[in-house]
Amino acid sequence: MNPTLAWGLVIGMAVTNLVIRLVPIAALSRLELPPVVHRWLSYVPVSVMAAIVATQVLRPGGHWMLQPDNPYLLASVPTAVVFRFTRSFLGATAAGILSFLALRYLLGVA
Amino acid sequence: MIPVSAAKACSILTRMPLPTAITSPAPTRRSLLLRGARLGLPIFLGYMPVGAAFGLAATAAGFTVAQATACSALVLAGAGQFIGLAALTASGNLAAALVATGVVNLRYLLFSATMAPHLKGVPRWQQVALAFTLTDETFAVNIADAREGRADRFSMMGVGAVAWIGWTLGTAIGATAGSALGDPSRWGVDFAMPAMFVALLVGQATGRREVIAGALAAATALALSTVMPGQWPVVVAAIAAATVMTAVPA
Repeated sequence: MNPTLAWGLVIGMAVTNLVIRLVPIAALSRLELPPVVHRWLSYVPVSVMAAIVATQVLRPGGHWMLQPDNPYLLASVPTAVVFRFTRSFLGATAAGILSFLALRYLLGVA
Repeated sequence: MIPVSAAKACSILTRMPLPTAITSPAPTRRSLLLRGARLGLPIFLGYMPVGAAFGLAATAAGFTVAQATACSALVLAGAGQFIGLAALTASGNLAAALVATGVVNLRYLLFSATMAPHLKGVPRWQQVALAFTLTDETFAVNIADAREGRADRFSMMGVGAVAWIGWTLGTAIGATAGSALGDPSRWGVDFAMPAMFVALLVGQATGRREVIAGALAAATALALSTVMPGQWPVVVAAIAAATVMTAVPA
């Protein structure tokens, strides 16, 4: 590829992404936000995580996987249990990967 | 662990100097960075293979190893980089590629705004560093940690640094080794990010209203994911659920 175009994409994407990520932090961290905005923002994290989990587990790779032998869905259970009792993200992730590998092998699915 | 007073008494008796670890209980910058780095390890695991896939895609599109690696090191945007690269190779038009990556990453406006109240009084250069390393995954880890009152700008930088290393290193390996790597999915890494988000969700679902918000967002995102591309269902569902929960009194 033409080097000007390739470097243009690299620099252009770097600037675009940094501006999008920085502007709200830079602008809003100086303001005293009204309580209703704080309340609204307090529901964003759990909503984002639930939405991400639902789509990643029930639509892995962008396709519905609603059958009961869905390894993504089944491996979520030991992951959640390990996190609930250890509060360790790394431990839960490791437990999740191991159970996912075991389930995929046992169920014989991709 | 010896209580401080007991240690003091011992040191008077034996005339030995006190070990500094006992007299300075406040966490140091280094210990906070390391704590963040540990929190970020699941992200590292998830980013390496996806970064390698980007390195492979970029070199296949005609990027050099240096260009592909610099792209990940300077941009740090998973889907945004793939879309930008695809748009550039399809159209040859730089402006179109930049618009594409910008649209895909508009969701960071929401994440950045949600982080803002936790970054009050943080020096501007550190805000820039934290904004630069803001991704879906670092946002989720840091906001969960912040709401437990444990996150600090240095622990957040530790999370960001480990994520950045995983993404950049993965890209460099993918761009260099290419298809010789084989399919990383045989190691189960497909489930690294879902597993981390499951754990984060369990940590966030603290009360009845949080559970209701999560259920609303999950159902909305699934319904929208059949008609909207990429992460848009997640963003729209989160905005909708937060708005409903704010409007309905406790």
